[in-house]
Amino acid sequence: MKRRDFLRIGSAGLAGSLLGATGLLSWTPRANAATLERTFHVTEGFITQIDGTDVYFRGYSASPTGLDVPGEALIVQAGDTLRLTIVNTLNVATSFVIDGVVDSGPIGPGETRTVTFTVDQPGSYLYHDNLNAPHNRLLGLHGGLAVMPAGSSNELYPGSPTFVQQYFWLFHDIDPAWHDRLRRGLAPNTAYTPRYFTLNGLSGRPPGAPGSGDPSIDSMHDPRSALHGSIGDRALIRIMNAGLAAQSVHCHGNHMEWLTENGVIRPDVWEKDCLYLDGDKGALDVIYPFEVPPDSWPPARTGEYPMHLHSEMSQTAAGGYYMFGAITDIFFE
Amino acid sequence: MFDIEKRNRRMMGMGGRGGGMGGRGGGMGGGCYIYDENQRANDTLVTPDVTFRRGIYMNGSMTMDDGNTVTIWGFTDGGGGMSMGGPFPSPAMRVTQGQIVHTQLTVPMCCAHTIHHHGIEPGWESDGVGHISWDVSGTTYTYQWRPMHPGTYFYHCHTNTVLHAEMGMYGALIVDPPEGPGTLYSGGPTYDMEAFWVVDEIDSFWHTLNWTAGTCGSDVGLNDLNPDYFIITGVDGAQSAMNAPGIATTMQVGQKLLARYICAGYHPQRIHFGGLTGTIHISDGRVLPRPVQVTELRAHSGERYDVIFEPDTPGEYIITCEIRHWVSGEVLGTARTRITVT
Ligand SMILES: [Cu+2]
Ligand SMILES: [Cu+2]
Repeated sequence: MKRRDFLRIGSAGLAGSLLGATGLLSWTPRANAATLERTFHVTEGFITQIDGTDVYFRGYSASPTGLDVPGEALIVQAGDTLRLTIVNTLNVATSFVIDGVVDSGPIGPGETRTVTFTVDQPGSYLYHDNLNAPHNRLLGLHGGLAVMPAGSSNELYPGSPTFVQQYFWLFHDIDPAWHDRLRRGLAPNTAYTPRYFTLNGLSGRPPGAPGSGDPSIDSMHDPRSALHGSIGDRALIRIMNAGLAAQSVHCHGNHMEWLTENGVIRPDVWEKDCLYLDGDKGALDVIYPFEVPPDSWPPARTGEYPMHLHSEMSQTAAGGYYMFGAITDIFFE
Repeated sequence: MFDIEKRNRRMMGMGGRGGGMGGRGGGMGGGCYIYDENQRANDTLVTPDVTFRRGIYMNGSMTMDDGNTVTIWGFTDGGGGMSMGGPFPSPAMRVTQGQIVHTQLTVPMCCAHTIHHHGIEPGWESDGVGHISWDVSGTTYTYQWRPMHPGTYFYHCHTNTVLHAEMGMYGALIVDPPEGPGTLYSGGPTYDMEAFWVVDEIDSFWHTLNWTAGTCGSDVGLNDLNPDYFIITGVDGAQSAMNAPGIATTMQVGQKLLARYICAGYHPQRIHFGGLTGTIHISDGRVLPRPVQVTELRAHSGERYDVIFEPDTPGEYIITCEIRHWVSGEVLGTARTRITVT
């Protein structure tokens, strides 16, 4: 079994996950649908938390020696066919599921299974292992899939408000007592009480903390999470909750344009500074507009602001450590 | 203004107390990841149209309907620094769209706090977020903002926020359109009366902690909020809020009541209007493209809804706010008030 120290998270977790990275799954509109391939190694190991606790996780990993929690964020366009090869390195079964789209069924220990499916509807999807739901997903077997409208580079769905850049915010909450029981093949026997909270697998490291500013450790500076833009650099954010706790997603600097809730297009676009994100696979799509912060005087075109969950328990780790939870920063450049 | 001795104390606090004593019962220790050493004056200031002065208190209390009291912290009106007790919620700020506003926060050496005007989006140096700018300690700091969107907001401390906002360090913030109170926004609906429903939950154990609790890494349980009291605008929602002025309302058929609802707790809430239908015109300080009629709504921490009631039938309508556990959805408690229509 692997042990992934938090100091080494980034090299494994980040490199394969940058949106629009080279490779078949990229965010470049194409005239024709394509068949795209990926291999996920379902791996397990420990991730050391800020207080030194080693917590057991499983991940859809880019390599058999890695441990990617969450799995790589995938971007395809509507009509594409995905051919995913799942290599189960565990001694228990796993699965690959996108609700309403594909379900691999159980993939046994040591088994390799290729799952082929076509994605028709543009939008944001959570892929996950639904065995023993929600247990396998909570252990880390989850990731995000973006389906762009065919031929479009700037819409969530045809005719949606437009954007010029996009991000995933995949939130998670972790009860180490549950992870430990599940590692040992036992059912959890305590009320679910999350102690760690992550955004795209990382948590905050405020200034002065070990790893602060390191994009492979600090969610405040992880390029997958931290928003960077100049005025007008409208950012689509695909928000998903792999954990069980309902959260309030709160942005400073600008309100968010609220496009969807749990996969359903909102009848009107509301501008909100806090949005209710359901626990247990809740989802939101929003645009952070990168407008001049409207109440600034003199008008501010540059500056730094936080995004944090306002359900503030999520801003802690191990019962304290305020700011070591699910938080990132927003940079007006 | 920022003497070297205090700076050293704080830095020693970080080094010496790391992983240590953040928690229960101690004195006003140094704390970790508190950014008062970064303090400098706000260099964006211009002449304001209106100024609010706020000090702090950390020895207030609230008496519950069952006779128990819990410790409350908050802001005072005036720049006196630390005072003995104070109002809960903290004094409201009410401003007019387009005004340049100063909030002068005075914090003694004891401790560090900030004011974040939640939903107001000022320059970063006026946003009150410690890790991005600085926490305020041993000085007076001036935040500058110019509210451009009428509606309901609130202000709260953003230092060790998980604890300080729970302790009560918040107050309402209302932005009126140029027409003034009585009009929701320019060209929008009018109202005859207002109610403030600032719904919050209290975990009595959290209210025994000191201001740096948990910041150096000790486990003080801040991941797990187990509320035992459920309150509306600083009044116990078990019974007292049913009759409290400004919360409970008596009105006549033909009048329009604006309820300014703020979810000030950390667990999600569901609020039932007891048979009345309300019209949401504004949420989070933004006019909705189309108003929405509701008989209940759900909200999560920090959300605000501006709801107008125009009842056409006399009666007593019980407003019930359920506070639901963020994981299980179990109703942890309810806070109630009423609208009496004559
Ligand atoms: Cu404070
Ligand atoms: Cu807030």
